[in-house]
Amino acid sequence: MTGPRRLFLPRAARVRATSGGTPLAVDGQSVAYVRESWLVEDRWWTEQPLRRRYWELVSESGRDFVVFHDLASGRWLRQR
Amino acid sequence: MIACILLPRFELTVAAGGPEALAGRALAIAGERRSAGSGLLGETSGGAEAFGVRSGMPLSEALARCPTLELVSADPMAVASAWERTLRTLEQIGAGVEPERPGLACFALDGLRGIHGGSDELVLAAARRALDRPARIAAAPTRFCALAGALATRPRRTLIVRGSAREYLAALPITLLRSRERTAPLVGTLERLGIATLGELASLPRTAVADRFGAAGIEGHRLACGEDDPPRPRTVEEPLVEHFELAEAAGGPALERALGVLIDRLLARPERRGRTLRAATLGARLLDGGSWRTSVTFREALAAPRRMALVLAPRLALLPSPADMLMLTVERFGPAGGEQSALFEQADQQRRARLREAVSQMRIAAGADAALRICRLEPDSRVPERHMMLAPFES
Repeated sequence: MTGPRRLFLPRAARVRATSGGTPLAVDGQSVAYVRESWLVEDRWWTEQPLRRRYWELVSESGRDFVVFHDLASGRWLRQR
Repeated sequence: MIACILLPRFELTVAAGGPEALAGRALAIAGERRSAGSGLLGETSGGAEAFGVRSGMPLSEALARCPTLELVSADPMAVASAWERTLRTLEQIGAGVEPERPGLACFALDGLRGIHGGSDELVLAAARRALDRPARIAAAPTRFCALAGALATRPRRTLIVRGSAREYLAALPITLLRSRERTAPLVGTLERLGIATLGELASLPRTAVADRFGAAGIEGHRLACGEDDPPRPRTVEEPLVEHFELAEAAGGPALERALGVLIDRLLARPERRGRTLRAATLGARLLDGGSWRTSVTFREALAAPRRMALVLAPRLALLPSPADMLMLTVERFGPAGGEQSALFEQADQQRRARLREAVSQMRIAAGADAALRICRLEPDSRVPERHMMLAPFES
């Protein structure tokens, strides 16, 4: 039996973004439209706080992405 | 002959991180809270006892006697794990061990002499070598007498009572009856009646003791007369444990859903081999240090996840503080397929039975992860990876 498996685990993504942080391309696919952006700040009371800027994007081919910028580590990750 | 192994302050030693942590310090286990601001102490170190602090004493009184008293969080999970290792060590020398409580076990020497050189001393020496910590070891004709010997002997010394148990016990204080749950309530009354030693209790007619104290009195009188039941060695079960790391301090419904996943994972383990569960232990590692555990014996052996959750979920309310890990352990298995179905099976039950059989065959062919279901863990969390997880399918 393997360990518990969570769904929607974040995986690393290659994101090109503007200087303001808006994604322009995700994994080589250009972003056509930004549907929504939101900030999640959680576990700030622990030693491992969670700070993420989420982006819901639509690529030029019509695919829907959810990526986030980990504001603590500076990494971009893709969630969906 | 019965051997008694006594590891004094076992729970405190484990919770404090080792015997060296107790040296020269006034330590005590912070016990369960009785009411706001008040609690009873668990085991205490020698340094604390020098100030008059005793196990079972209210915290406020203990701090008044010893202002420098340091409190250690109880860690029953670590204690259970360390105690299990100790018992297995003793079983490796061939002993059929009866654990009475963490730090106290006994076993019969008969049958072990041939393995360890032919004498009681050599068997006890083998037990001492097997243990990795100082222990008080004694052997006597009965369990109670062996415990009395172990309490009287010094650490690293071995005492063997060769004569009659009744004679050995005669001069010992009546407070020894506190070592048994059933006879412990007698001690105060016996002392008030002026009975200070076990010999004085043994000299009373048993019928008179039974008349005054009932079954507990008979039990106490039997012990004082050197009579006792033989040890009942425990049944060694293969350990079956499942852990669940909580992303953060979960509570309420999230904790219950985590418990549901834990139950499903435990029931899906191939080592269960279709057996039902008779008793289980639910444990948790607490965020503020220490741990918590509670044992549950099911009214009947079962393997239905919903019924198990019905029994176990209310226990989560007893958690003393937020937890970051849940653990479920099988303490005792029941017979395979022990649940009785209805006399006239309904179509729904038949479908479920066929589904269970299909899942079981699929797991045999493709592994334990062959049939999974999506379980909603924290659907309201703002972090998507906490929403759902895969858990074994249990119909």
